[in-house]
Amino acid sequence: MNTNSEKGYVALLGWSLNAVEAAADFDRRYIVVAPDWAKDYCDQHDIPYMPWNFERINERSMEIAQKLQELGVDVAIPLFEETVEWAGAINSVLLNNPRLLGQSMLMRDKSLMKRRAQLGGIRVGIFEEAHDRDDVIRFLRRVNQTLLKLDGDPNDPIHFKAFDKAGCLGHRVIRTPDDVDTIPDEEFPALIESHLDGWEFAVEAWIHDGKIRFLNISEYVSLGYSVFVPASPELEKHRAAITQQIEKLIKVFDIEFGVIHPEYFLTSDGEMYFGEVAYRPPGFKVFELLERVYGFNAYQGMILAFDPKTTEQEITEFFPKEVEDADGYAGCFGVYPRRRVVSRLEIPEETEDHPYFESHELTPPMEETVTKRTAFGTHWGLVYFRGADADEMFTLLKRQQELDFYV
Amino acid sequence: MTQVDTADPAKRQRLSQDLDAAIERLANARDFAKPAKLMPVLDLARRLMLADGFAEIEARSQALEAAGVFAGTDWAQPHILLPALTCHSLKSPSSDVVVIEALSELRLLAIAMGDVVHAKVSAEQAHHFLTQVLAINLSMLFTPMSEAERESQGRLAKVPRAMLTYLAERIGFEYVMDQLIAEIWRILRQRPIQVDSVKQMVTQIAICRGSANLNLNNTGLGTEALIQGADRLVSSLFGPTQLCREDPGVAVYAERLQHLDSSALQSEAFGCSRAMHDTGLVSPYHAVLLRTLCESQPHLIVDALGLSGTGRDSLLCYHDLVKALIEEAVTPHTPQAIYGLTLMLERGILYQPAVAPSLWRQLSLGLSPWSQQRLNLVFGSAVSPRTRLLEGVLLMLGLPLGIGQGNNPTCQSARALSIWSHIDPDFLLQLIASAARDDEIIMHFEGQPISSAPALEDTARPLPIDLDPVSILLVPHLDFIYGAMGRLCAGREGDPHRWINPEFHGWRVCRGFRINVNVATGQLENLEDFLRHFYAYYHPYYNGNQPLIHPQPAGIAITDSAARFIGWHAITIQRVALDPNGVMRVYFYNPNNDSGQDWGDGVVVCTADNGELYGESSLEFERFASRVYIFHHDTQEPGEPDKVPMENIATIQGYIQRSWGKERCAELTLQASPGAPQA
Repeated sequence: MNTNSEKGYVALLGWSLNAVEAAADFDRRYIVVAPDWAKDYCDQHDIPYMPWNFERINERSMEIAQKLQELGVDVAIPLFEETVEWAGAINSVLLNNPRLLGQSMLMRDKSLMKRRAQLGGIRVGIFEEAHDRDDVIRFLRRVNQTLLKLDGDPNDPIHFKAFDKAGCLGHRVIRTPDDVDTIPDEEFPALIESHLDGWEFAVEAWIHDGKIRFLNISEYVSLGYSVFVPASPELEKHRAAITQQIEKLIKVFDIEFGVIHPEYFLTSDGEMYFGEVAYRPPGFKVFELLERVYGFNAYQGMILAFDPKTTEQEITEFFPKEVEDADGYAGCFGVYPRRRVVSRLEIPEETEDHPYFESHELTPPMEETVTKRTAFGTHWGLVYFRGADADEMFTLLKRQQELDFYV
Repeated sequence: MTQVDTADPAKRQRLSQDLDAAIERLANARDFAKPAKLMPVLDLARRLMLADGFAEIEARSQALEAAGVFAGTDWAQPHILLPALTCHSLKSPSSDVVVIEALSELRLLAIAMGDVVHAKVSAEQAHHFLTQVLAINLSMLFTPMSEAERESQGRLAKVPRAMLTYLAERIGFEYVMDQLIAEIWRILRQRPIQVDSVKQMVTQIAICRGSANLNLNNTGLGTEALIQGADRLVSSLFGPTQLCREDPGVAVYAERLQHLDSSALQSEAFGCSRAMHDTGLVSPYHAVLLRTLCESQPHLIVDALGLSGTGRDSLLCYHDLVKALIEEAVTPHTPQAIYGLTLMLERGILYQPAVAPSLWRQLSLGLSPWSQQRLNLVFGSAVSPRTRLLEGVLLMLGLPLGIGQGNNPTCQSARALSIWSHIDPDFLLQLIASAARDDEIIMHFEGQPISSAPALEDTARPLPIDLDPVSILLVPHLDFIYGAMGRLCAGREGDPHRWINPEFHGWRVCRGFRINVNVATGQLENLEDFLRHFYAYYHPYYNGNQPLIHPQPAGIAITDSAARFIGWHAITIQRVALDPNGVMRVYFYNPNNDSGQDWGDGVVVCTADNGELYGESSLEFERFASRVYIFHHDTQEPGEPDKVPMENIATIQGYIQRSWGKERCAELTLQASPGAPQA
């Protein structure tokens, strides 16, 4: 598509093929900022590219900001957890707003983030920072005392999350002191929090000029396994309340633009508890799912939300009407091998023959022995479904957990 | 025939619609985004194939190719594809490989049927290609899925079968049979030692002829030859003579033989030997007959083996030895031993003083437990390991050029076995005895002994299983020693074959050595000098009309049918001579199992019709020279290198530049001699 130099010029921080494709097909100038290994690929395919290794933010962060400024870039868009604070640092220069760096640091630290939310009057569970295994054991004991458990009663679990990892990486569920022993040293310090029994869901909100432009609710069928959009009618009933919560979040974190991806628990008494928020596209390919049901490209929506030159009319016309404009439900399931030894990939017949089955991106196994899953870990690939009925989608996604994709 | 689920049309329609959408997304994607869009296309195609939707896919084949399904793979160049490779890809455990191969076949089908016009392949070429694919994969058409396929492919194993069935129905079975029979004859004319797969194919023809699937009378042109060709193959295995025409089973045949008089027995003997010499295949009935004759009418052995004057003399001189060999090696489970024995007698090698005593040793050789276990594992225990090995020994001595390396990277070992069998048979028998009995052979490298014993101790090393009985035992030893010699050359400048080849193969390999590739840079060097000396040692017009005395190992740059470099390969130059048309050809031994290969740019290796002996490959001298990168020569016999005309050199340089030398020509362009044709 021809680019329009009247509109903004964006930098994509991190390498995501789908994001690059979306940008290439959009009407704005863009440049990919990614590590050296992406260079050959970008050269080969004429993708505008600037090399940068995103390690810990350091004194050189000014350098990349200046380089981008010289090019005339208007705003930087983080694609991964690891590039969020880089985007903050760069945008504080490009947009001449030093507050953006501090904001991005908040987003990167799960503990700070929770405290900020709590200060702003948002409900959160009980949480603490853990610096070693004793902290975790003490917390586990205290939480269960609070719940009036007697010795010998099964513990309520607690959640252990490495401070700065995305999504399910480094996320463990701890039930007993034995579980604590399996945590490797390098995962400390970490956030520990009480388990909230409830309905867990995530939200993706596109924000421009401090206003929500599109709000999607993603329903988790099983955390770490499956998600679908839009949410089921039962969850969508809470949309008004959820929107209020997001507006509160925007205010507390002082967010003017961008895409946020918070997670919440809805307890049985209708209270909403804030889990955490990320300032980047969600994992689990929710963007792709949205495209399947709404037809708009969520990355392009993200570019619009970030671009300071986006006009009110442009962004209003871009997004469809939530839920009403969705053509069915799209979901995906993350496959983990269930057996300890696998020799090949075989999609179960009942999965493949289900009318909702769309496609998968699983690859044949590289090794025969499956490493034991510690934390929630990384799935081996996703399976995509699409269909007209939310209940059927829910049952179908749930059912996948009982099937072997690797045999 | 393979059974396919009769999937409901509604499912096919739904999948076809999804496939259309996926093809469109792939077609519209930018180059860099294609890989991610390809996966849904392949996956939907696979599901459509599982639902028997081949017609739907055939109809979309042009859209699929245009969208870029084959982009960046060999399948994007249908004119260079090799039918022989389809049997590997269709059996691949990776569903993507199976599906893309099937898609390619269905595309060629659309081209062959005239529904689609392709820039690179004509309808005739596509048709020819597909008939070869069917012939090569015929077993999948007629036999049920094997446990191995089920294990490695699962549900996917249905796809190649159903696809081949669909192809066969669209193209017509008669073409398949025609092609298959021609293919079998082509292989048999190379007289390989291992004929199990050929025998399987012949068995399949026999089964087809018995079923209603094949109506040979409807095939139009060439029918007569076709029927005869098929008949000859089937009868040579299952009914070589009148007395066993209806394939009664060996027990019945043995019983019938008891009631024959001498002249009827002689007629049986003629029938069997004729079938054997026609095809190189030996029927189990032949074994029964020969054993019977050995006991009761030994004077008819000559006729049962179909011997010429030389063979007859050998037989008469070494009658006891031959009788003992028949008794020990020839059984209905090892009928090919007869062919090995026959050709060994014809070669006259029994007259070399050490050969007959070596064979006596072989007859009573005690095999080590490792050897016995190995032979039983590979060949089963229908006959004793000693008998199995003896069959292998006879075949190797009878068919030195029929040795194949199987699916193993051991061309040097196969080549060495061939050379020894050809010119040094008692040495070969010595090695066999050492390996089979002692689990060790010792060879020397520049005076330093190397023992092969560690080869069998290393359990991590995969052992070959697709070889003849002698190779099964010897190749692990030889491969180990070859590797050890290579390690002893570490640090020496240049190519180690200079020293390894003469030490490994024996004194008959000349010590003069030339190579035209710089080992360090991979660039061509001294090309003209190299070629002139190649002429001067091997070409009779420039070496004083001296026929090659001992076969010489040489190194070849192998190229594919698009003349792209594949790798280095070991062959033996057997002889250089004028062919029946007066063209100077190099006749050589290639340890590959099937030597009929297209090396691209018009360099097509022949295996018959140009004066080749059984098992020899041949090329015109210039074309052969264009693929040589290493040869040995006798420095005391320099020949006349200066007399080689510049235009011959230039022609060869042209072939090199258009193929494996394309990226190795830094020097070549500098010295580009006047008059060299530019490719």
